Amino acid sequence: MTDNEIIREIVQGERNMYRKLVERYQPMVFRTCMGFLHNKDDADDLTQNVFIQAYQTLTGFKHDASFSTWIYRIAVNASLNKIRKSSKNLLIQRLETVFGVEKSKEFSFAIPDSDNPENILILNEHREWVQKALNTLPENQRTAIVLSKYDDLSQKAIAEIMNLTEGAVESLIQRAKANLREKLSSIQKKKKK
Amino acid sequence: MPEGIRIQVENHLGDCKECAESYHLLNLSDQVMEEEKRLQPNPFLVTRIMAGIEELEQNREIHLHIPVYLKVLKPVLISVSVAAAIFIGVMVGNIYLPAHPANSLPVEMVYMNDAALESVELFSQL
Repeated sequence: MTDNEIIREIVQGERNMYRKLVERYQPMVFRTCMGFLHNKDDADDLTQNVFIQAYQTLTGFKHDASFSTWIYRIAVNASLNKIRKSSKNLLIQRLETVFGVEKSKEFSFAIPDSDNPENILILNEHREWVQKALNTLPENQRTAIVLSKYDDLSQKAIAEIMNLTEGAVESLIQRAKANLREKLSSIQKKKKK
Repeated sequence: MPEGIRIQVENHLGDCKECAESYHLLNLSDQVMEEEKRLQPNPFLVTRIMAGIEELEQNREIHLHIPVYLKVLKPVLISVSVAAAIFIGVMVGNIYLPAHPANSLPVEMVYMNDAALESVELFSQL
């Protein structure tokens, strides 16, 4: 069944059909959320919220774009809103750090094949650098690079999601890579000192 | 990438430290992103989402069964209570009246001569 046929059934009252859409698009929504949040549990929660929000607004889906474009937009907006709210809680997080109540920054990665603890430490450190660098990117650059790298979308698809031209998307991705490179370089230099 | 260009790039990276470092950093970021991409969502996520939607629909049905007059009555009662509280407050404030107007003096004060009263200089001479 196509997405439009499923949506038609859901709008007519067959809400169990929504499961088909969820199963179809859950991996891509999860990857998008993961690209922004870098935490598996947060990405799971946000994916759930995205699908519930999509269900609530399904009657407003106008079929002028594909369902996948529409749900990508919801996922991106939800992720950016979550990040904005998290930055407001930064003061609380800093206080928690001062008083020793630090939340474990779980990366939720599989244990690498290497048993060498030093290698594991280095890997974790590199992950932290990259995540920190990604978090400093402006929102539009971050969105473009997440959709490109995490979802493997073409520039045309990204342009449709972000309501931009393909040229603008290409420019955003190039600038994002340049900023990432600069930021990683400065983090690396600070660590070496 | 064509073989010839690939060899040229590799040779350049061998010679140019700055480009080699940039390449290494971009490689690093690609590796981290690939690792995050490989993570799988919670296997029960679909069930959780459908359960959330089921709860949503049940709450919507409960809300629909509440009579319309009850939905209207609550905000009306709250508005009336607030208006009544303001009105009573104004009425209570208006009950109080001062005994004498603040700017009028007793009649006797008009005939009092301050200069004829005991003078401070009299006490200082003692």
